[in-house]
Amino acid sequence: MTLIVEGRLVGLLTIVVIAGSIIYYMQRAYSGKIPKLRRLQAVDVIEEILGRCVEMGRPAYYLMDTVTMDNPSVLAPTVAAFQILAHTARRAAHLGSKFFVPVTQGLAYTIASEVVDEAYRAENKQDELKLDETVMYLPDGADRMYIINHMWSDEMAGAFFLGSWYHKAVIFTENAARVGAMMLGGTDTTHNIPFLVAICDYSLIGEELYALGAYVSEDPTVSSSLAGQDIGKFIAALLIVLGSILITLGMSIKGLFSM
Amino acid sequence: MSERLIKMQIPVILTAIIGLLMIIEFFFPMPAPVTSLNVTLRSFVTIISAAALILGTIVLTIYHSKKIGTRKSEWYYSIVYVLAFVFTAGLGVLDVRNTTFLWIYNNMTSPIGAALYSLTAFYITSAAYRVLRARNWNSAVLLVCALIVLLMLIPIGAILFPPVLPLGTWIRNIPSGAGFRGMIIGTSLGIMGLGVRVFMGRQKEHLGIREERRAPE
Repeated sequence: MTLIVEGRLVGLLTIVVIAGSIIYYMQRAYSGKIPKLRRLQAVDVIEEILGRCVEMGRPAYYLMDTVTMDNPSVLAPTVAAFQILAHTARRAAHLGSKFFVPVTQGLAYTIASEVVDEAYRAENKQDELKLDETVMYLPDGADRMYIINHMWSDEMAGAFFLGSWYHKAVIFTENAARVGAMMLGGTDTTHNIPFLVAICDYSLIGEELYALGAYVSEDPTVSSSLAGQDIGKFIAALLIVLGSILITLGMSIKGLFSM
Repeated sequence: MSERLIKMQIPVILTAIIGLLMIIEFFFPMPAPVTSLNVTLRSFVTIISAAALILGTIVLTIYHSKKIGTRKSEWYYSIVYVLAFVFTAGLGVLDVRNTTFLWIYNNMTSPIGAALYSLTAFYITSAAYRVLRARNWNSAVLLVCALIVLLMLIPIGAILFPPVLPLGTWIRNIPSGAGFRGMIIGTSLGIMGLGVRVFMGRQKEHLGIREERRAPE
């Protein structure tokens, strides 16, 4: 009987090294050694969009598109989008911005309701929150027409497109652009990144979606984990260079990945 | 049990234990009872999702009923929703294989969904018109690359200008492919970081949990 499932040794080692370096940097932060992190522009953009909505007296929309949380490829960006929602809803409560979060799946709806409710409680503004109007469950299919219609009738001034985005990325961002909303878009769905980058005023590309959730958590031990992820990037860059050299020299490394 | 234990500690501990079980099962050969436990746990996701779907539908129906009761703006659309919901759900509950129920799904819900999906084509065209303008060097490069790839993909493109075939293929495979691989590596690292933070219970905003609360002013 083998100790490790065949073909998964390299994956296991990669996870151990990268997870180890993330945990190392988090532990280091506990002892006060906090790495210097580049400030993500999106943090200021969230304030800017919500501030614009307050000044214009119009709502901000927080859209997440596909939130089927039983799908592994959708789960991670959705969790990241919820983490950013927690921060955004709290800032919206603080600034007094109108906020609307339509959700297309039951499980995600219950989580989004809890996140928004907690954000308003944290600001002691639960009296200002009408939860059934702020977080709305819209069955998938009905959501497109409802959201587009309300984007125009509400004349929304700002929109966040974060999470796992598919074909609706074009439909919603294009309408938001026509309404004149200021937009922040971010997804890890590679084939829809170009749409969000091209149409939105500001964008988060791939990994930045996850980084923003950690960055806005207000906990230095959490944001320090981003430095651990950079170790993974260095390893990846090193392996790409090494692999290119070996392949050029005619040495195959395919065997390594079947161990 | 205290509220803190129920709302904060139990979800975090459960997430960590179940998450680690799934990872261990992926990398290490496990005895049959552990594999069977993991299969059962995964089926819980479907059950919880179904329960949450019912909850969401109930909340939506209450919202629309209130809207009708208070005659809020566009309340008449809510009547359509409530009637459609009661009629369709009633038929489905009585017999899910009922021909009228299936007819509603096949001839109303599906075509509406397909029609809405097809809107994407028009929005993509409109978005492309908005984006593909040579305002600066970056957008000029994007415009030229997009035109080459577009010409490569349409049948007449290669007839009009044959070099678009190798050029378009090169753009898709080399600069675009390399960029996408970089993104995928970055995204995978981001997911790993997120997983570690969630399993360690350091990041739990997605559970609606925030430890500190501002004192009332």
